[in-house]
Amino acid sequence: MTPSAKPSPSPERKPLLVASVEDLAVHFQTKSGIVHAVDGVSFQIRDEETLGLVGETGCGKSVTARSFLRLIATPPGIFAGGRILFWSREARDHGNKPIDLLTLPLARLREIRGNRIAMIFQDPGKSLNPAMPIREQVAEVFYQHRSAELLAGLNGKVPATIRRHARQQTTVAERLLMRVPPLRSYGRKLRTRVDDMVGDALAETQIPNPRKIMASYPHELSGGMKQRVMIAQALACNPDLLIADEPTTALDVTVQARILELIRDLQQRRRTSVLYISHDLSLVKRICDRVAVMYAGRIAEVGTSGSVFEEHLHPYTRGLLAAIPARAHTRGELAAIEGTVPELVEPPPSCRFHTRCRYAVELCSREDPPLRGHAGTSHPVACFGYESANEWHAGPDGMPDLEAPTR
Amino acid sequence: MVDVVVPPVRISVGSRLAVRLRRFGEVAREVLRNPATVVGLFVIVAMIGMALLAPVLTEANTPDPYQMPRDWGALNEPPGTPGFPLGTTSHGGDVLYGVIWGSRTSLRLSLIVVGATVTIGLIIGSLAGFLGGKVDEILMRVVDVFLSIPELIFALAIAAVLGPSFRNIILALAVVFWVKYARLIRGQIIHVKGNDYVDAARVIGDSRFSIYRRDVLPNSITPIIVQATLDMGHIVLVGATLSFIGLSEAGLAEWGVLVSDGQAGISAGRWWASTFPGAMVFLWALAFNLVGDGLRDVLDPRTEKR
Repeated sequence: MTPSAKPSPSPERKPLLVASVEDLAVHFQTKSGIVHAVDGVSFQIRDEETLGLVGETGCGKSVTARSFLRLIATPPGIFAGGRILFWSREARDHGNKPIDLLTLPLARLREIRGNRIAMIFQDPGKSLNPAMPIREQVAEVFYQHRSAELLAGLNGKVPATIRRHARQQTTVAERLLMRVPPLRSYGRKLRTRVDDMVGDALAETQIPNPRKIMASYPHELSGGMKQRVMIAQALACNPDLLIADEPTTALDVTVQARILELIRDLQQRRRTSVLYISHDLSLVKRICDRVAVMYAGRIAEVGTSGSVFEEHLHPYTRGLLAAIPARAHTRGELAAIEGTVPELVEPPPSCRFHTRCRYAVELCSREDPPLRGHAGTSHPVACFGYESANEWHAGPDGMPDLEAPTR
Repeated sequence: MVDVVVPPVRISVGSRLAVRLRRFGEVAREVLRNPATVVGLFVIVAMIGMALLAPVLTEANTPDPYQMPRDWGALNEPPGTPGFPLGTTSHGGDVLYGVIWGSRTSLRLSLIVVGATVTIGLIIGSLAGFLGGKVDEILMRVVDVFLSIPELIFALAIAAVLGPSFRNIILALAVVFWVKYARLIRGQIIHVKGNDYVDAARVIGDSRFSIYRRDVLPNSITPIIVQATLDMGHIVLVGATLSFIGLSEAGLAEWGVLVSDGQAGISAGRWWASTFPGAMVFLWALAFNLVGDGLRDVLDPRTEKR
C-alpha cells in the first residue's frame, strides 16, 4: 500500500507521498459526552503539492492539521485511532519506512517539529511571544535544529560551553562565564552567526530591513510583517511539509495576496509540500493543486482542484459552492445550506450530511458512506448517491448553481 | 545617467541587554508620567535611604541597634526637646531613633517576606499551572485550605504559637502570604499557556522547560511584580499590627511596637510617641500602594491603552 515500503519497479509509480493520514480519529472528552471531532479521516499529501483542506468552522480541519504535530492537549483530546505516516525526504532517499507521527516518542517528535514539519497559524498577532525580540524567536529554530550550522563558522576546537550555548542549554553561570575573555570571543562569533542566519531567513520573506526587524518586539510590527516573521521561522529549516492553518484569515485582503504569493514562491523554490487549511473556497481554488472537503469530522470528497470545483460531486460541496455570492449577485438573499451542523457527540452511523441533504435516502441515515472512487467519478467521494453511477439529478430547486452530474 | 551606488546600510542589532533596556525605558517613562506614582516613588526612595543611612543619621545603640536606646532621665519629653527632636516614650526611648531604625526593621520585614512568598508562590503556582492535571488539583486544594482562614487571624495564630518575637512574625507572614502568589501565578500561567505563541514554540520543537522559561514565565510575571509592590506596603502594615498586639519582642525599634508603647499616653496628651511611628506606617503603605497602582496601570494588559 505504501510506496516506500514496497518500492514498485513499474515505470508508472504512484506519486511520491509526504504524508498519509489513515483513518484518523480524534475525539474530545466533554461534559456532554465524547465529541468525535475527527472521525475516520484519510487523505494523502503528495510530494511538492499544495493540498487544500476546506470545510466550515468546527468541521475538524484544524484538529486534523494539529494532529500532525500532536498539538492536541490530551486530555481532553483522545487520539482514538488511525495513523499519520510521514516520509521525510531524507528517509525516503534512504528507502526508510515512514514514521507514524501519532506514536512517535515525544523526543523524536520534537526533532521533526519545526525541522521537517513546520506550521503557521491563523493569527500572526498571537503567534509571536510579545515579551521577546524577533531575533530570539527566529533564532530559536536554529538553536533547536541547526546548532551544528551555527557552530560551523567557528574554527578550531569549540569549547563545550559554546556548543551547549548553540543549543541554548547553558546555565546562568555559564552565560556569565561567556562574558569574560576566553569564551567571550566565541560567544560573539556565535552571536554574529545567529544574526546572519536569522537575517537571511527574514530577508527571504522580503521583509524590509531585516536587521532592524530583528531588534523589534512583535507589537512594533504590522500583521503582515508578523506573518512574514512566522513564515521565516517556519521555513528556516527547509521543512518537507508546511502546515498552514488559515495563514491569511487575520490579514487584510491586500496583505493576504502578498503573503500567499510569498508562501507559493518559497514553496516552489524549496519544493515543500503544503497542507493548506482554509474555509475560503475561492482562495483554495486559486492556490491548491488538490482539495479535500471536510464536513463534520469526515472527508466528503478529495480530488484535484479542478475536478472538485467543477464536478463538485458531494452535495455538501455543491451547497458550499452555491453559497459563494457571484459578482453579478448584487442584492437580496444569499444562498445557504439549510439546517445546522449536527452535534458530534457520539454520532450514530449515518452520513453526517443527511439531515441537510436534499437528496438523502433512507440508507443515508442508517449507514456511513465510505470514501471511495465511485463508478463514473474521477475522484473519491463519500456519498451513496454515486453507488450506481448517476441515479439522481437536481430537481427544480432553489439552488442557483446546481448542476446534475452529467456522466 | 549616472548610476548611484547606495552603500548597504548595516544597522547593528542591539545586544539582548540593550533591547531589554529599551523596553524597560519605555515602561519607566510611562510609569513616571503619573504624578501620584512619582510622589510614591519619592517617598519610597526617602524611606529606603533613611533605612540605609540609619547608622549615619543616629548613633547606633549597642549592642543591638534594633533595640530602642533608653534614657531613664528623659521620660515623656515632648517633641522639640534638645537631643530628642521627636520627643521620648514613657520608657525614655528616643522616638526619632525608633522612626529611623524602624524603617530598617520594616524594610527587612517586607523584603524577606515578599522575597520568600514570591519565590514559594512562583514555584507552587508554576507547577500547578504549567503541569495541570493532578498536580494542579492537589496543590490548589492545599492553597484553598490556606485561603479559607482570614490572613490576619492566621498570621496571629502562627505567631502566637511560635512565641512573641520579630523573627516569628516574619515566618508567620511568609506562611500566610505565599498562597496569594501561587493562585495569581497559576491563573496567569494557565491564561498564557493557551496563547498561540506557546503552540508556535511547540511547533518549532522547543522543550517544555524552554517553553516555560522563554514563553510562559516572561508573559506571566507582570501581575506578580504589581502584587509584590503592593505587598511591600501591605506586609509592613500587617507586621505592625502583629507587633502592636504584642507579638514581637518589647523594646524593638519597630513602628508597631512604638505605636503600642505610646498609646497609653495618648489620653494624657502625649500624642507624639504613637503618632510619628504610626505616620511612618501610613506613609510606607501609601507610597507602595501608589507605585503599585501606577505599575498596574502600565503593565496590566486590561488597562492597556496601546
